[in-house]
Amino acid sequence: MLSGILNSLAALMPAAEAGGDLLHPPKGAMLMLAVPVLTLVGVLACTICAVARVRTKLPAWISVACLAGAFGCVLATFLGYEGPRHAVGFEWIHLQWGGETPRGGGQVPIRALHANFGLYVDTLTLLWMLFVTGLATLIALYASEYMAGDVRTAGYSRFFVAFNLFVFSMSCLVMADNLLLLYLGWEGVGLCSYLLIGYFYKKPSAVAAAKKAFIVNRIGDLGLALGIMLIFVKFGTVEYATLLADSKFQGFLAAATAGDFASIPWDIQLIPALLMIGAFGKSAQFPLYVWLPDAMEGPTPVSALIHAATMVTAGVFLIARTFWVFQVSEYALPIVAWIGAITALLAATIGMAQFDIKRIMAYSTVSQLGYMFAGLGVMTSVGAAFHVFTHAFFKALLFLACGAVMHGFAGQLDLRKLSGVQKMPGWRIVGVTMLVGCLNLAGFPLLAGFWSKDMILAQAFAEPGYSAVGWVLLLTAGLTAYYTFRVYFRVFVGPQHFEPGDEVHGHDDAHGHGDHGHAHAEPAHDGHGHGDHAGHAHGSGGGQHGFHPHPPGWAINLVLVVLAIGAFAIIPLNFIGEHAGHGGWAADMVHHSTAGPLPAGAGHAAEGHGGGHAEHGTFLGMDPHKVMYYVSGVVGIVGIGIAFVLHLAGRTEAARSRADGLLPALGPIPGWAQHKWYVDEFYDFLIRTPLWVAAHLFHLVDKLIVDGLVNLFGFIPRALGKAIRPSQSGVLHGYALAMAGGVAFLLLIVLMAAL
Amino acid sequence: MALLALILVPLLFAGYVALRPEREAKSIALWGTLGALGISAWTLFDFDWGQSGVFQYAESFSWVDAIGLRLSVGADSVSLMLIALTAFLGPVCVLCSRTAITHRQRTFYAWLLVLQAAMTGVFAARDLVLFYVCFEFTLIPMWVLINLYGSTNRKKAATKFFLYTFTGSLIALAGLVYVVWFKWSVSQQWTFDLYELQRTAARMSSAEQAWVLLALLAGFAVKVPLFPVHTWLPLAHTEAPTAGSVILAGVLLKLGTYGIFRFALPFCPLAIGEYAPLIAGLSIVGIVYAGLVCWVQTDVKKLVAYSSVAHLGFCVLGMVALNDTGITGSILYMINHGLSTGALFVLIGMIYERYHTRSMDELGGLAARMPVWSSFMVFFTMASVGLPGLNGFVSEFLCLLGAFQASHEWAGTPGGTPGRLGFVYAAVAGTGMIVAAIYLLYMVGRVVFGPLVEPHGHGNGSGHGHGNGAAHGNGDAAALPRDLNWREIGTLLPLAIACVGLGVYPSPVIQGLRGPVATTVAVTKEGAAYKPPARADAKPPEVSR
Repeated sequence: MLSGILNSLAALMPAAEAGGDLLHPPKGAMLMLAVPVLTLVGVLACTICAVARVRTKLPAWISVACLAGAFGCVLATFLGYEGPRHAVGFEWIHLQWGGETPRGGGQVPIRALHANFGLYVDTLTLLWMLFVTGLATLIALYASEYMAGDVRTAGYSRFFVAFNLFVFSMSCLVMADNLLLLYLGWEGVGLCSYLLIGYFYKKPSAVAAAKKAFIVNRIGDLGLALGIMLIFVKFGTVEYATLLADSKFQGFLAAATAGDFASIPWDIQLIPALLMIGAFGKSAQFPLYVWLPDAMEGPTPVSALIHAATMVTAGVFLIARTFWVFQVSEYALPIVAWIGAITALLAATIGMAQFDIKRIMAYSTVSQLGYMFAGLGVMTSVGAAFHVFTHAFFKALLFLACGAVMHGFAGQLDLRKLSGVQKMPGWRIVGVTMLVGCLNLAGFPLLAGFWSKDMILAQAFAEPGYSAVGWVLLLTAGLTAYYTFRVYFRVFVGPQHFEPGDEVHGHDDAHGHGDHGHAHAEPAHDGHGHGDHAGHAHGSGGGQHGFHPHPPGWAINLVLVVLAIGAFAIIPLNFIGEHAGHGGWAADMVHHSTAGPLPAGAGHAAEGHGGGHAEHGTFLGMDPHKVMYYVSGVVGIVGIGIAFVLHLAGRTEAARSRADGLLPALGPIPGWAQHKWYVDEFYDFLIRTPLWVAAHLFHLVDKLIVDGLVNLFGFIPRALGKAIRPSQSGVLHGYALAMAGGVAFLLLIVLMAAL
Repeated sequence: MALLALILVPLLFAGYVALRPEREAKSIALWGTLGALGISAWTLFDFDWGQSGVFQYAESFSWVDAIGLRLSVGADSVSLMLIALTAFLGPVCVLCSRTAITHRQRTFYAWLLVLQAAMTGVFAARDLVLFYVCFEFTLIPMWVLINLYGSTNRKKAATKFFLYTFTGSLIALAGLVYVVWFKWSVSQQWTFDLYELQRTAARMSSAEQAWVLLALLAGFAVKVPLFPVHTWLPLAHTEAPTAGSVILAGVLLKLGTYGIFRFALPFCPLAIGEYAPLIAGLSIVGIVYAGLVCWVQTDVKKLVAYSSVAHLGFCVLGMVALNDTGITGSILYMINHGLSTGALFVLIGMIYERYHTRSMDELGGLAARMPVWSSFMVFFTMASVGLPGLNGFVSEFLCLLGAFQASHEWAGTPGGTPGRLGFVYAAVAGTGMIVAAIYLLYMVGRVVFGPLVEPHGHGNGSGHGHGNGAAHGNGDAAALPRDLNWREIGTLLPLAIACVGLGVYPSPVIQGLRGPVATTVAVTKEGAAYKPPARADAKPPEVSR
């Protein structure tokens, strides 16, 4: 396997020979080049719509068409796949030096920093691109209806410009043949995330969330950038193919496989640590996860696509893509495993205590990403990628279902204020598809989410030394099932009840609130102040506020149904191919790429589901790969059961459940969890405030000391000038004196040098 | 001839502006700058890029033969690109002043054109005298522009700008004169020619070089400006009229970095190698310190002004890395910073014309009022933040990579170069990327996004006292539409296209810089290889005369 990949890499190395160029790309690569091109066409067309003041749904249809075209290209490439392909678009950065002949003879070797707009397409790329473009198409369709409230403003076009730009950046990130182009995509998706989180730009909270996302991501980006620089310095390249086939790198890899980490220099081992920081930022891992929950300020389609299904998996992609690089360090993968496990648990505990259903989903995303990182850490890049793939489906589904609710109930997201939505007229599809998503997330036996999560759990116990990670993940699995069904049982089933949110979605009047952004209580509603909510239920659809929840239309329902079917349709993929039952198709995809595990027999690097070698870990003395199905299934069902007892059984009103009775027994803990363990406050205290104080201090220093000294110097000649000839202004004397000073200084230099 | 034309055309048009009636001034100035732009564009095509390290379009006139005084011009690719930047910003400056400058237009445009000629002269000069004359002469038009057309505090700003940079350049003159004298002492022959001087200057002892370097830096570092000699800049920027700020940020600051590239590096290669960590340290302090200071500004223009200090820190950092990556990045940075920061100043000027304020307390959420302006603002902010795909990234990354590479630690690696910076310098400077995101997004978050805030009583075009007869055409400004008009969009669009172009396809520019950069790296190789002597037997590096 390894040698096969190496051979194909070696074949790719001289780009011009095997790869072709823009005009003559190799077979199969042409279609992939069409992906960024089509998305860019989408960007341009939507920009033109914005400039031409198009006030129809045209931008949405253009986007759907472009994205569907892109998906078609990816699909066609996938079906005709014959092996890794390399296509050089054009030269982006090419800086060359050396090559001259020094006086002593010989020749200085030519060095170059070479980063092309070049695509590297292997199975890992295709795996990612399939769900990125597929989901993007569906979500664009969904958004055409969801954003319809803004269709009469420029916002509609603006949304789709950023949406297409996101898919473009993501395709650069995933299909890049070098780390620098990946970095371009990496920051590009960050920009789109910034623009889309801040879509409702009049809302201060949205602006703050957008800013936070960008800045926190930048911290990670710095790590990634330094990692890329270190790779370049050590290996003289930023291209994957050249790097992985580098003989020195192969040497380090061999040493690592033999367990001889002492022979690998510290700076080589530092590379994965730096790349990891980037991955943690983009994929919202502890300690850089804080931006993702706030990112829910963006429109829901954005949350579904960017902040659940695709962008946040970029970190997993980066580590999978450079999986071998991570194996040359003794500590990199263990750190990844532990960070993943900690994040999974931490986010799950926060998610349990939230009331905003979209935020619960956001924390569950953080938590599931933690699973993926833990999976990478325990050496199952297959499990991680498989989970990325299944998670993309069911998490997008969950977000879109929540979005439909938010859309229909004027922005209401509080699970205490909604109940029994599924039984309301027109909401059946949303309810059922939500159930599908929830079951997947909870790891209900035999569903897609179950299989992928199980692979990670089993491997955590199977990999020697990681059983603690396994236990943390198993606990988290139970918590996940609980909080997922807490949402479902409270919002979608039970007694019918709702209170609309305070956002009039722009359907009624898109223009009236231009100046203030959020349109709180309309003047006409003065009589129905929100103060009298407390006791009485607002019967379903009762026109107390003149508000009718409006169930989703065809576009939203269609997308939900397609995704729900998709979540089932991917189950059989687990049982085909070389790795049937162990990731199936996804495993094949990963194994044929650079993310595959190193050859077995080295102990450290083996995937281990052969179960043959000595260091195989166990789960309570049993083979984890055999018992974990049952264990995780039971844990999931128990979690759902607890949620049923606490949040559905015997519940008569929306705002109360049996869980409330348990809260006092837990003391302050639920409160802390609800406040997200005060991590944001802690960061504020530890980082933001000191920086802010330093900034003010520097500002003062700049004014008083740095500039003060200058002014003092400026004052001396002026004072002297005044003293000598008080009749004239000091300015000219200043010049004269400065000039004299200069001459004196010159003489001084000449003297000193001459002496 | 082309270079002379580039200097003379603006000068001739300046004279013509002065002769013609007031109302024709702006169109004449526009034609003048467009003419220069045309010539400059032609040189870009005509230039022999295969010989990018050779001074082309060379002209030389003898002046005082007895002491070898000549006036020579010539441009290698670095000069050529900086001249192109100057020429490119010329029409932008004229266009963005169209409604902003309403009184004494002739004086304004004439001096603007003179300024352009002087700046072109600095980049085109191939001998010390012409360089220094032009270098100093830029002060006078700039002083006039700030002093006559600035905002409230303009007199103080103009004076401070003048005195501060003038004092610095006098000291630099001392350094330059010493280099000439040294040449004479070696060869008994007076010359001011750059090449000739370079060849002998490198033979100065390292102690001499250190003094010369100090003198040169006194002039150039003030101009850049490098921390801690930056305090003239925020004031001058804030008070200058828009066109003045664009020129100041776009080109004048680059005179400093250009001076370092052209003189400090080849004249004192040993000293620069020895003191590279110190200079890099100052740059990094500037990056972080000025970045944080930006964050607490309330005046948008001051914020952008301070951001120049931070940005130019990257530029100097790349320069003193003394390797191809760093120096290429540094030169690219000069161009890119000129484009993106210049554009930001133009944008702020547009706001000032409409609202007569630049305070973020009085302005907010303008996206609701001015979507076109806001789109440009976000775009150029992103260019300034260094978003990959736009111009800022390429240069910033190369500067950081250059600093990263320059370490003896990496000896023997394919990507390392000799030097004394390395990982820590790059990492600490890299935090500037984060700080830049903090302050620029803070600015965008307040001015562009958020709830709409407009100054009290805005819109009736009156009632704003501007004391001292400052040049704010209330009458004209009132005629401006709420969002940008076509003239304003036309001012910004070329800048935006240039930003995208240099971000997506910088390769030709990078290739074009290879000649002069390779020459400079070769000259400074000995300096870059400098290792501090072991403590026990401290011995200065041997100098070969």
